[in-house]
Amino acid sequence: MTTTANWEEPTRAPLVTSCKQAARLVSISFERRLSLREWFSMRAHLLMCKTCTFYGRQIKALCAIFARHEEVLANTPASVDEKLDDKVRQRIKDAMGHCA
Amino acid sequence: MSVPAPDNNYPLRLSPADTWVDQHGDYLFRYAMMRLRDRELAENLVQETLLAALKGRGSFGGRSSERTWMVGILKHKIIDHYRKDFRERPVTDLQTVEEQTVDQFYDAVGNPRQYPRDWMPDPQAVLNAKEFWTILRGCMEKLPKTTSAAFAMRELDAMETPLICKELGISPTNLWVMLHRARLQLRACLEKNWFGEKK
Repeated sequence: MTTTANWEEPTRAPLVTSCKQAARLVSISFERRLSLREWFSMRAHLLMCKTCTFYGRQIKALCAIFARHEEVLANTPASVDEKLDDKVRQRIKDAMGHCA
Repeated sequence: MSVPAPDNNYPLRLSPADTWVDQHGDYLFRYAMMRLRDRELAENLVQETLLAALKGRGSFGGRSSERTWMVGILKHKIIDHYRKDFRERPVTDLQTVEEQTVDQFYDAVGNPRQYPRDWMPDPQAVLNAKEFWTILRGCMEKLPKTTSAAFAMRELDAMETPLICKELGISPTNLWVMLHRARLQLRACLEKNWFGEKK
């Protein structure tokens, strides 16, 4: 079932696609404009398939959230495993002291 | 950021070594940990970043905040690291491996093995939920190194595809397949560990 096809070029997407092909088209649509045929093929599948509609919406929403992660880093406190420990903190200060 | 005015309690002017590590160290470290899965590596890159900033501080024009400037330096160091990772890996089999992983999510006729459930992330809730980012980090760690690097550049840093391909020396198709696989896997992992529970 593995198809190592070129994803950059529009393919002759069938009018009735599987969930697998539909998800692939959703991903491609983030990177380039789908051809009319691809777009139609994706829409037709999403129209019929509730779970792929969930999939498409979730992926899109997650991408929007990921893109805002720097806000989170700036606004939420870091957990312990995301903090420099004191030894390293001192090591960096020492190294900077030598450099200055 | 202005240099604190010298006052009597501090006979010597504070040097960057004293202030930068405490002011920006944790942020830079956290930023690096989001993109690398290796504590030691993240620590080293933070150190290199601060040293580079110290050396280059004469050329820092103050057009952006001090922190933004340092994040820019760190970003380059992380990309340098990704580049090395990709160079050590035969890129020819990359696409095959990634497509095989994509196949694992589906049966022979292309139906998902696990049908996506009905949930929608609430951006405001997610952005404030610390555990969400911990879980996301855990999910990213389950991706192969190269895949999570590509994902981080595209989705976290919003880099343009051609630039990522150039930096990593891969074709757009290679990159897109990796991103597709990362999306499938991260979505499923988040559904299982975060959104599933919340429902």
